[in-house]
Amino acid sequence: MQGTILFVSLLLIGLVAVVFAASVLASTSHGEPNKQAVEKNRVQLMVALAVIGFVVTYVSLRPWPHEAEASEGVVTVDVTASQWSWELSRKEIPAATPVLFNVQSHDVNHGVGIYDPQGVLLFQTQAMPGVVNRVKYTFREPGAYRVLCMEYCGLAHHGMTDEFKVIQE
Amino acid sequence: MTDIALDAHRAPRDTGGVPALGGVKLTLALSGAVIVLMMLFGLTMKLAQGGLVAVEPIYFYQVMTAHGIGMVGAAGLTGAAIMWFFLARYVALTGWVYNAMLGLSLAGVVCILASIFVWGFAGAWTFLYPLPAQSGGVWEPGAAAIYLLGLMLVGVGFLLFYLETGRALIQRYGSLGRAMGWPLLLTGEQDDVPPPTVVASAVVTLFNGLGIVVGAAVIGISLINLYAPEFAIDALLAKNMIYFFGHVFINASIYMAVIAVYEIIPQYTGRPWKTSRVFVGAWAATLLFVLAVYPHHLLQDTVMPGWAMVVGQVVSYASGIPLIAVTTFSLIAYLHRSGMRWDLASALLVTGVFGWSAGSIPAILDSMIVVNKVMHNTLWVPGHFHFYLLIGEVAMVWGFMAWLTRESTGERLAGASATSYAIYFTGGLGFVLLFLIAGASSVPRRWAVHEPAWIGIDHISVVFAALAIAGFAMFLVRFVRRAGTAP
Repeated sequence: MQGTILFVSLLLIGLVAVVFAASVLASTSHGEPNKQAVEKNRVQLMVALAVIGFVVTYVSLRPWPHEAEASEGVVTVDVTASQWSWELSRKEIPAATPVLFNVQSHDVNHGVGIYDPQGVLLFQTQAMPGVVNRVKYTFREPGAYRVLCMEYCGLAHHGMTDEFKVIQE
Repeated sequence: MTDIALDAHRAPRDTGGVPALGGVKLTLALSGAVIVLMMLFGLTMKLAQGGLVAVEPIYFYQVMTAHGIGMVGAAGLTGAAIMWFFLARYVALTGWVYNAMLGLSLAGVVCILASIFVWGFAGAWTFLYPLPAQSGGVWEPGAAAIYLLGLMLVGVGFLLFYLETGRALIQRYGSLGRAMGWPLLLTGEQDDVPPPTVVASAVVTLFNGLGIVVGAAVIGISLINLYAPEFAIDALLAKNMIYFFGHVFINASIYMAVIAVYEIIPQYTGRPWKTSRVFVGAWAATLLFVLAVYPHHLLQDTVMPGWAMVVGQVVSYASGIPLIAVTTFSLIAYLHRSGMRWDLASALLVTGVFGWSAGSIPAILDSMIVVNKVMHNTLWVPGHFHFYLLIGEVAMVWGFMAWLTRESTGERLAGASATSYAIYFTGGLGFVLLFLIAGASSVPRRWAVHEPAWIGIDHISVVFAALAIAGFAMFLVRFVRRAGTAP
């Protein structure tokens, strides 16, 4: 996911850069603009952006990205954050099984970020005092996973890490 | 060459009629120096993260806090300076109010710096409740109180500023609606159509006034909570208020700074920036969008209602349409075959619009909930806002400063000015792209110590950061030298 997003970003940033560069090159000559054509192009651009927006919105929100209901067969892990450590109710999680994380904090805002064995961020949620945030995930690959704190929480924010294992059952 | 004096107020170097002009110039000089200093703080952070310089985490987080609030403050003040300078051409502003804002801001800055470097506050600029009160024993409540008091002073100064601009706009146009050009939009009325600067100023006055009031409320609550913990606030509500305030305030800086583009670029192209129905509609949409979009900071708070998250995602995308299809598209159209003269001022102003447009791309992508799951609170987030600020807002500000101190005969982007621009742009663009690469590599943000796998990117970033700082330092020296001899 991250690689694709970076690629798309760089492509579109590059496109904007090319448009600006072309505009700079075309700026030094003289000529009267065709105002009607300009406004027609503007409307076309707006319509195109709106259509792309509708499509992307529809595709990206179905299924709902935060679906996190407890149901039969779902394994539950309670995660509690405090300055500056994690408490996980289980340190071994089965692969190929939906896992529901119930996340909260004893004190300030923290962020539970789950990293795979290759150091890629898989998902995250906020750990807050007074509320429980829920996120559901199915781990495919067995191995050692890490929990990193994603929300600045003070002096040892960078040291607030933990580990758990995903095991093939 | 198409430099034209559009009217008597716009002759080169003629800054007559701007109340508190001294305050405006002081704002620019001080903010320019603050920006360079804050960039040095940023460089220190990168050096520390890259393991190239030993910085104790406690000092890293103090520097991080100062860097954040220093840049936000400088962005806000420079945007306000630009807005005031040009709005004075169209409405009667009261000089002492600007100076009061500046004075209160400076008093606030003193408090903020003292809270951080004397009393050790390191809660990040966002002061996310309840961290200021619960530092884990690292700073005393008093340190947090002085930081929050400093913010409050700056906020009061800005509120006075917006009350004054609102008052002056209403005095001249009869209502904020008229100042925003709504009669033109809604009925096609062509009488007394406000110029672009007035439309932009009216919109920002409204939305930033609201943002600051909400910020003041959550700062007030946080202050009380420091000394009376039994007076608490729901942490989720506080988070909503803080991100509403923070998002609105930092966006206001760029929506004010773009006024320099509206006013100055026409002097180079000979094509006045027009208040069309599309322009008014874009700014009306912006008013709504800026206020509604803040839930994109809360997409990983799964307890937030789903509809709020959808609003955050959809409005983030929608915000890009006025930007790309109106501001950027119009700029490209105005530049096209205009016989444009490129000097440092025009180059930086156009760069600013490029930075804003290009910076919106990683921002909009990150506002998709599915993407945000793996990008939120990674370095992708500072990546996108450094793009907006370093290549966007601050470029517009330096462009304005270069224009203010331009020679009356047609300068060109050549020699020292071209060198300084090239150094800044190479450094700045490389730096922000590396931030995005780091974010895509899952590096979390706001970590004082980086893991070995991450430090390679930090090492390269340091080089680009140093270049950007060098470029800005050259701009600052140029401004200060020339402003000293300005009439």
